[in-house]
Amino acid sequence: MSASISAPAIEVRDLHRVYDAKPAPVVALRGIDLEVRPGEFFGLLGPNGAGKTTLIKILTTLLLPSSGTARVFGFDVVNETTQIRRIMNMVAGGEQSGYGILTVREQLWMFSQFYGLTRGDGWRRVDELIDAVGLGEQRVQRVSTLSTGERQKMNMVRGLLNDPWIFFLDEPTLGLDVSAARGIRELILDWKGAVDGRTVLLTTHYMAEADELCERIAIVDHGRILAIGTPAELKRRVQAESIFRLEVDRLDHGPGSLARLPGVLSAAAASAGELDAERQTVAVNLVLEDDAALSGVVGALSGLGSQILALRKSEPTLEDVFVELVGRGFDAQEGSNAPEAGGPDDAVQGEPAVEAHSG
Amino acid sequence: MSAFVRREGGSPLESATWTSRQVFMTNLRTVGGRAYPRVTGMFREKSWVFFEILLPFLATSAFVFVYRAVEAPREYIGFVVIGGAMTAFWLNVIWMMAQQLWWEKSQGNLELYFAAPMSITAVLFGMAFGGFVMSSGRAVAVLVVATALYGVEFAIDQWLLLGGVFLLTMSALYGLGMVLASLFLMWGREAWHLTQLMIEPVYFVSGLNFPVARLGLLGAVAISTLPLAVGLDAMRQLAFAGAPYPEGTPAPEVEVLILIAMTVVLLAIARWSLAKLERMARRDGKLSIRWQ
Amino acid sequence: MAVGTPSRPVGAPPTPGLGVYDAARDAGGSWAVMRGFVTSVRLGWQMEANWTDPLLFVIYSVAKPVSSALILVFMLEVIAGEAGRSFRSFVVIGSALWAFVMSGIAGLAWAILDDRERYRMLKYLYVSPTNFLVVVLGRGVARLAVGAVGAVITLAVGVVVLGVPFDIAAIDWPLLIISIAIGVVAITALAVVMAAICIQTRMESWSYPEAAAGALFLVSGAVFPVAVLPGPVQAIALVNPLTWWIVGMRDALFPGGISSVGGIGTVFREWFGHASPAPNETILALLATGALATLGANVIFRVSEHRAKDRGLLDRTTGS
Repeated sequence: MSASISAPAIEVRDLHRVYDAKPAPVVALRGIDLEVRPGEFFGLLGPNGAGKTTLIKILTTLLLPSSGTARVFGFDVVNETTQIRRIMNMVAGGEQSGYGILTVREQLWMFSQFYGLTRGDGWRRVDELIDAVGLGEQRVQRVSTLSTGERQKMNMVRGLLNDPWIFFLDEPTLGLDVSAARGIRELILDWKGAVDGRTVLLTTHYMAEADELCERIAIVDHGRILAIGTPAELKRRVQAESIFRLEVDRLDHGPGSLARLPGVLSAAAASAGELDAERQTVAVNLVLEDDAALSGVVGALSGLGSQILALRKSEPTLEDVFVELVGRGFDAQEGSNAPEAGGPDDAVQGEPAVEAHSG
Repeated sequence: MSAFVRREGGSPLESATWTSRQVFMTNLRTVGGRAYPRVTGMFREKSWVFFEILLPFLATSAFVFVYRAVEAPREYIGFVVIGGAMTAFWLNVIWMMAQQLWWEKSQGNLELYFAAPMSITAVLFGMAFGGFVMSSGRAVAVLVVATALYGVEFAIDQWLLLGGVFLLTMSALYGLGMVLASLFLMWGREAWHLTQLMIEPVYFVSGLNFPVARLGLLGAVAISTLPLAVGLDAMRQLAFAGAPYPEGTPAPEVEVLILIAMTVVLLAIARWSLAKLERMARRDGKLSIRWQ
Repeated sequence: MAVGTPSRPVGAPPTPGLGVYDAARDAGGSWAVMRGFVTSVRLGWQMEANWTDPLLFVIYSVAKPVSSALILVFMLEVIAGEAGRSFRSFVVIGSALWAFVMSGIAGLAWAILDDRERYRMLKYLYVSPTNFLVVVLGRGVARLAVGAVGAVITLAVGVVVLGVPFDIAAIDWPLLIISIAIGVVAITALAVVMAAICIQTRMESWSYPEAAAGALFLVSGAVFPVAVLPGPVQAIALVNPLTWWIVGMRDALFPGGISSVGGIGTVFREWFGHASPAPNETILALLATGALATLGANVIFRVSEHRAKDRGLLDRTTGS
């Protein structure tokens, strides 16, 4: 057993999970291979029914795999569940668990006892974390009276009580308003940043969230990992070049004068917008080999006496990456759009459109 | 923020490796933690004072009057008063323990319990202890009021043995509750119906309203297999020392040994069945699916 | 498109799949109430009959009421022996009828708790156009039906196995029909009261209906004549609609047996001047007490509903 900080935080090899369901078994995971380094913020991004929740339930020891292996810091998820449970915690989005008759403080203290904190330490830890997440005013409010955002903050406190080495987050901002979701994301980043070595595995179907939080992302669909990489690497699969929209006050020799510059692959007049016509500006779509070529363009424009009025980079989104990989968007799915519940709904029957890419 | 600073352990291996004392203390704290909502709930909402004390007292009184109507010997009034007090614990076991894990699954709490490092048995102990506190009030009220109102005269020679029998009966009964909790987790919605199914038959064969020892062979079988029947019979013999009992009724000391054996066996079965059923639930993905 | 402009011109055909608004559907009226009731009954039946093993369902429907009767029969047999045989019919009949009462009283209350705590559907039922009380009543009907089946089977077991004397030619059919009709209303009224209470209480109140039924057991003359009770308690029994329902059913099905309210030295005799009630007196008493119970239940339910709305109790969960 190599359960030390040098062991991968998560190590998954050829993981399969099949649910017995009527009328036919549902294959939720089809040979997942994955490795997450200690201290990494790793994301699983995919539409509903992709297998994200199934994978996270296996890693949090709530579900057995049908075949394959999975380890958390070297501990096997099948046979070493107690050890894993001591070093991890999990929070899911839309959690309505808890005892309505207790106050926030009491509910959290109860869980602190489950993680072995002493009575006094439990109360102190709970109070500290309640203040840290901004739930101070709801401290003695009954759980049943909390708003959705407040409840999720309470759930986050529960997840942090035992100071986990690895924190599993299954769509933690699901159903939250913009402000509450942002608060949760900031909380996660603050917590992770406070100490080196904390690992987070986040599942989400919100591309912007994955883009903002994750150092590496695995795109999952139909139980397979289609691609793994940093957000920038994944986007470069779709678009290796750097594309900019440039607006200048004048361009005497037209866009063609820019096309001949080193590193510029193409420069073409962009369609004039309303503002262009009013201001009489010139808009150009530039395709560069990489961002470094931009400095040459800026220098050339300066030499031509043109003033840059606006410069905007056009980047592909992770949905563009998904479409590239699968041939459809997140919303245009085969089968049902049932929310992930870790059960037979957490997969779609039938074969995937694209062969898996093992990370 | 200081709340987010690492608190203990230099590596996952260190944090994951607990001493026996840590394991024991965590489970002990879990018992207290899980009992907390039960006990707190009692004081947050007080309708139970009427429904769990006054009304059950009236139900016990109904059987007192049944005995009076059939002109039963006087000691039967005392038997049914003790039975009425013990009914509180039986109902607590069947309502608040046996189907509790199934209920927790419906609420979404079960997977949080299984994802935490403490033993689920400790959680059930906590529920049992919390429920015991709740039921004790009812039991004492029924005992005291009914005794005063109906003129029950106890004749207790061995107080210590009586107390010991009571505690052993509780441990065996709540051990049975844990076994049922794991079975009900497996059976899902059927658990609700089985709870309903079991109430009256168990009233009968456990002797809650009627001393089952009087039933001859059926009584003997009940006494040797049901914790409540054994405990009640022993308590009745000790509470009314000198009252006539059918020949062949085991002595309280023998029934103590039966209760000890039952407690050990039931707790062992509970521990085994919980572990087995957790594995089955993880295999079938049933820890977090509701309405099964 | 300016604000306020309809997204589709008035009179244009509806979007396929979305249907057309039917004003008549929301017009209310008795038909709408009936439809809501029937739907709730169907829902309640689906919930009750959702057994994976039908045999277990049958056992459950039969074993519960029969066990209750057997407890008392055995008690009588062991304690009173031959002398208790004459009392056996009284006890079996009362026990069978009480199984029906238990089911009825518990049905609505458990429906409330189930829908609020487990399925979290109570708030959706509440905001549906159907009257909330109608929905709750419908949900409880299934359990009432199960209780009725259990009661009939227990009576049959009593007649066939336990020797309860029964003569079909001696049944007082008018008394039977009227007692059933009014009795069901009275039992339902008590069930509504329990439901009203459970709207206010927490999840642990699953046992409250049985506790209430156990208490009513004392003052209903179900398994012993009220004559054995102290005077003031006998008076309470005489204003209890369940007492009169049991008298009516007993006298209708098994005439000539021991009276559960009458007898020498009873409060009934003191109030009415004769030893046992005549059928028309039974019906009048059942009607009067049933009407009081129904009115009271309606008021209590409305108060409870209002309080629940005021305090946000309809969509809370209260586990511990």
